[in-house]
Amino acid sequence: MKALLLAATAVLAFCGSAYADTIKVGVVGPFSGPFAIQGKNFKAGIDAYMALNGSKVGADDIEIIYRDVPTPDPAQAKALAQELVVKEGVQYLTGFYFTPDAMAVTPLLEQANVPLVIMNAATSAIVTKSPLVVRTSFTLWQTSAPMAKVASERGIKKVITVVSDYGPGVDSETAFKKTFEAAGGTVVESIRMPLSTNDFSPIMQRVKDSGAATVFAFLPSGPTTLGFVKAYNENGLKEAGIQFLAPGDLTQESDLPALGDAAIGLTTTFHYAVSHVSPENKTFVEAARKAIGNPAELSFPAVGAYDGMHVIYKMIEATGGKQDAQKAVDAVKGLAWESPRGPVSIDAESRHITQNIYLREVAKAEDGTYYNKEIATFEKQTDPGLAASK
Amino acid sequence: MTAASDTQSAVQPAYRRRDLTGIAVILGIAAIGYFLFPNNLALLTRILAIALLVLSLDLVTGFCGVATLGHAALFGAGAYAAGMAAAHWGITDPIAMVVVGAIGGAAAGLLSGVIILRGHGLSQLVLSIAVIHLFHEAANKASAYTGGSDGLAGISPDPLFGLFAFDLWGRTAYGFGVALLVIVFVLLRILVRSPFGMLCRGIREDPVRVGAMGGSVRGTLVKMYVISGAVAGVGGALNAISTQVVGLDSLSFTTSAEALVMLVLGGTGSLYGALLGTAVFMWFEDVVSAANPFHWLTMVGALLIAVVLFAPRGLFGTAALLLDRLKERRR
Amino acid sequence: MQTIFSVAVDALAYGMVLFVISIGLSVTMGLMRVVNLAHGAFAMIGGYIASYAASDLGLGYGVAMLIAVIGTIVIAVPIERLLYRRIYGAPELTQVLMTIGITFCVIGIANYVFGPTLKTIPLPDTLRGPVDLGFRSIAAHRLFAIACGAVVAVALWFLLERTPFGVKVRATVDNAAMAASLGVRTRIIYAVSFAVAVGLAAFGGIVGAELLPIEPYYALRYMVTFLVVVSVGGAGSIPGALLACLVLGGIDTTGRYLVPEYGEFFFYLAVIAIVWIFPHGLLGRAK
Repeated sequence: MKALLLAATAVLAFCGSAYADTIKVGVVGPFSGPFAIQGKNFKAGIDAYMALNGSKVGADDIEIIYRDVPTPDPAQAKALAQELVVKEGVQYLTGFYFTPDAMAVTPLLEQANVPLVIMNAATSAIVTKSPLVVRTSFTLWQTSAPMAKVASERGIKKVITVVSDYGPGVDSETAFKKTFEAAGGTVVESIRMPLSTNDFSPIMQRVKDSGAATVFAFLPSGPTTLGFVKAYNENGLKEAGIQFLAPGDLTQESDLPALGDAAIGLTTTFHYAVSHVSPENKTFVEAARKAIGNPAELSFPAVGAYDGMHVIYKMIEATGGKQDAQKAVDAVKGLAWESPRGPVSIDAESRHITQNIYLREVAKAEDGTYYNKEIATFEKQTDPGLAASK
Repeated sequence: MTAASDTQSAVQPAYRRRDLTGIAVILGIAAIGYFLFPNNLALLTRILAIALLVLSLDLVTGFCGVATLGHAALFGAGAYAAGMAAAHWGITDPIAMVVVGAIGGAAAGLLSGVIILRGHGLSQLVLSIAVIHLFHEAANKASAYTGGSDGLAGISPDPLFGLFAFDLWGRTAYGFGVALLVIVFVLLRILVRSPFGMLCRGIREDPVRVGAMGGSVRGTLVKMYVISGAVAGVGGALNAISTQVVGLDSLSFTTSAEALVMLVLGGTGSLYGALLGTAVFMWFEDVVSAANPFHWLTMVGALLIAVVLFAPRGLFGTAALLLDRLKERRR
Repeated sequence: MQTIFSVAVDALAYGMVLFVISIGLSVTMGLMRVVNLAHGAFAMIGGYIASYAASDLGLGYGVAMLIAVIGTIVIAVPIERLLYRRIYGAPELTQVLMTIGITFCVIGIANYVFGPTLKTIPLPDTLRGPVDLGFRSIAAHRLFAIACGAVVAVALWFLLERTPFGVKVRATVDNAAMAASLGVRTRIIYAVSFAVAVGLAAFGGIVGAELLPIEPYYALRYMVTFLVVVSVGGAGSIPGALLACLVLGGIDTTGRYLVPEYGEFFFYLAVIAIVWIFPHGLLGRAK
C-alpha cells in the first residue's frame, strides 16, 4: 500500500512538474557487446541532433538517459524500460535496435503514457502492437522490395536468395520473392543459413550449382557479412559474372573499410547512404562524425536516431512539455520534413516513415575510401510489409 | 561426507532452525528490496526468475557434480511452454502457466539429462553445449509457434487470483515471484537433505563407490535432472508472466554461461550461494551498465577475477568459512 | 564428382583453420589442465596487434605476424604470473570464472581502444589471389592456412614427443609433485607451456582472420567452437585435435552444402554422436 502511495505521488509529482525544466528521454540500445557499433551510431545521431538544434525545447531542458541491451533480450529490455519509466520518469522511450526488444515494450506504453519512437527495429508488425509507436528507420520490406523491381527491370529472370535464418532475413527473403515473382521473375532456390555460419564456401557452391545468374542475399552486418562477401569473391562467383544484390545493411559504411575491394560493385537498395548529396546531409554528417569520433564508424542507425530525435522534439513542442502520449503521437502523424536521407514523412495511419529508397553501388572514392554511390531513386516508399501481412 | 551423515540425525532440529532463519532472511531481503527500490521491481523480478534458474543449476552442478553450459535449455523450455500455453492455447491463469512451465522444464530436463549424462568432465560440457544449441535452433525453426527470433509476444496473463493484475509497476509480478522462490526454496531444502539428496551428494564425491553400493548412478542423476528442470521451468514461466514476451535469448548459450558464472560466484553446492551469486551479479551488472552503458563489461570481468582471487570458494562459501573461523576463535 | 572434390577441399581448408586457431587451447586444457576460456581473447589480441602493425604501421605480413605473436606473449606473461598461477589445479569451475572474467576485461578494453568495427590484416599479394587447382580455384590464403596447420601439427608433436622439454612437460602433467622432486622446475615448465599456447593462439588468430574476422566480440563469439573442437579431439592430444578439426570441418561443410537450412542441427547432432561413441574424445586418454 505504501509503495502504491509512493508510486501514485511519483506520478502526481510528474504531472505537476509538466511545466518544469527537464524532460527525460530514455534510449534503449546495444551499447556494448557484438552490436556496439550500432548503439554508438544511435548516440552519434542523438548527439548530432542536439548539437545542431540545442538541448532545449521551449523552456524545457532535454536529458537523455542511455540503457544497454547488448543482444536481443526482451526480458531485459522490458525491465529497463520499466525502470526508465517508473524510476527515472522518462516521458519518451526511444532507441531499440532489435525487434523482440521493441515488441516487449509495446504493452507498457499505454499504462505508462509514454510514446515509443523506434530508431531501428525493422519488422513491419511492431507499429501494429500499440498506437503509441512511431518508427523513423525502415522495414526490410521497404528496403528489399525495390531490389526486386530493379532485378526485373534489368531483365534478370532467375534469382537464388540466400539469407540468414532469423526474423529480418526471412522478411527480406519474402519481400524480395513476392515482389520479384509478381513482376514475372523466378526464384529458383531459397537458402536460409544459420546465423552462426562462419565458412560460406559451401553456400557459394550451392549458388553455383543452382544455375541462377543472380544472388539476392541478406545477412546481419559485421563478421558474417565480411565472410559472405569474401567467399563470394574467392570462390570465383564474381569472376563468373554472378550478380550480387542485397538490401543496404550488407554494405553499411562501417563495414566498408574491412570489405575493401571485395565490395566494389555490390548493388544494394537502402534508405540512407552517408554519401547522399544534400545540404541537410552535409550538416548532419559533419556533426555526427564529430560525435562518433572515428568518421569511418558512421552508418545508417545514426540517421534513424537523428530523425527519431526530430520526431521527439516535435512531440514535445506539440504537448508543451506535458506528458500526453496520445497527443504527442497524434501531433506527428503526417509530419513531413527534409531529413539527411531526403524528404520523409510519418504515415498518419501506420505511424511508419515514408521515405525514398535509393539504388546504390559500392565504389571507391578518389581518396581511397569506399562509399555507397546512389544511382537511382524510388520516391516516397511506404512499408509494403504491413499490407502483405494483412 | 560420511561425517555429515553420521551427525545428520543428531542436528536435525538445528538444521530446521537454520532453515527457518534462512527463509526469514529471504523474506526480509525481499521486503527490503520492495521498500528500498519500489521503482526497480522489474529488475528485482528478473533477479528472482534467474535465481530459480541458478538454483536449478546448483542442483545438478553443485549437488551432483555435473558440469553444464546448457542449463538455459530447461529455463527456456519452461518459458516457452508457459508462453505458448498463454498465447496459443488460452491458458492464461498465472498459476496454471507456472505448472505448464514446470512440466515443460521437467521434460526438457529429462531429455537433456539423458544426453548430457552420457559424458564426463569435458565431454559433458560439450554435450551440454550441443544440447543448448539444438534447443535454440529448434525454437528458431519452429517460428510458427515460438515467434522465432522476433520473440513470442501476445502473452497476457490474467490477474492473480482474479484480483492482482500484472501491471507497469510490477508489484504483482514481484510478490508472485517472491512467493514462488520461497516455496521452491523450502521444497529444495527438504530435497537436498532427503536420502535422495544425500545419494546425489554421494555420487558427486565418488560415483564408483555409490555404484558399488548398489545405487543407480545414472537413474538418480536423471531424476535430479527432471527435478532441476521443473525448478528452472518455474523460473522460465515467471519470466514469461512478468515480461509477457519470450525471446530466443532464454534458450541461449549466453544465458547458460551467465547462470554458471553466477552460481560459481556465489558458491556451488549451497542453495544460499546460488541466491547470493545471482543477486550480486545481476545487481552489479545493473549498476555498472547504467553508470556506463558503453564500457561496463570490463567492470564485470574485474569483479569475477577479484572473486577468484579473494573469495575462491565463492562469495557465500568464503563468507561461511570466515564466519566459522570467527566462531572457533571465540571459543 | 567435381562437386564432391570441391566440397572436400573446402572442408579441408576450414578444418585446418579451426585446427590452427584451437590447438593452443588443446595445450592449455590438456597439458596444463586449465579450462582457458580466454583462449579466444589471446587470439584476438594477436589479431589486433597484427592488424595495427600491418595496416597502420605499414609493415609486411610476416613481420606483423612475428610482432603480434611476440607482443601477445609479452602481454600474456604478466597475466600468467598474476592470475593464471592462482588457478593451476583449482576446480574447473573456478577456472571458468577467472578466465571468463579475463575475457570480459579484454573485450571491454579492445572495444575502448580499437572501437567496435571489424579489423582486417592486409594480406601480401602472393596470398591474395585465387589459385587454380585444375577443377576449381581456391583462395591462396586458404592454402596458406592448410600449410600452417600442417607445420604447427608436426612442430608441436615433435616438441612434445621428441625433445627433453616435451618429456618434462609430460612428466609435470602426469605428476607435478613427482616431477618437481626429480628436479623439473615445474613453474618454468608451466610458464613456457602457457607462452607456447598463447603464441599459438595469436598465430591462429592471424592466420584465421580471413575466416573469423577480428572485432572486440571475437573472444566470446568463437569460444564455443574452440571448446567443442578441442574436447571432441580429446584435450591435450595433437593428433586428436587434428582429427577432430578435419572430421568436424568436414561435417560442417558437407552439412552446410547439403542442407544449409539445418546446418546447425547437422553439426551439433554429429557432435553428440561422436561424444556418445567416444566419451573421452576421439583420441583422448581415459582418466
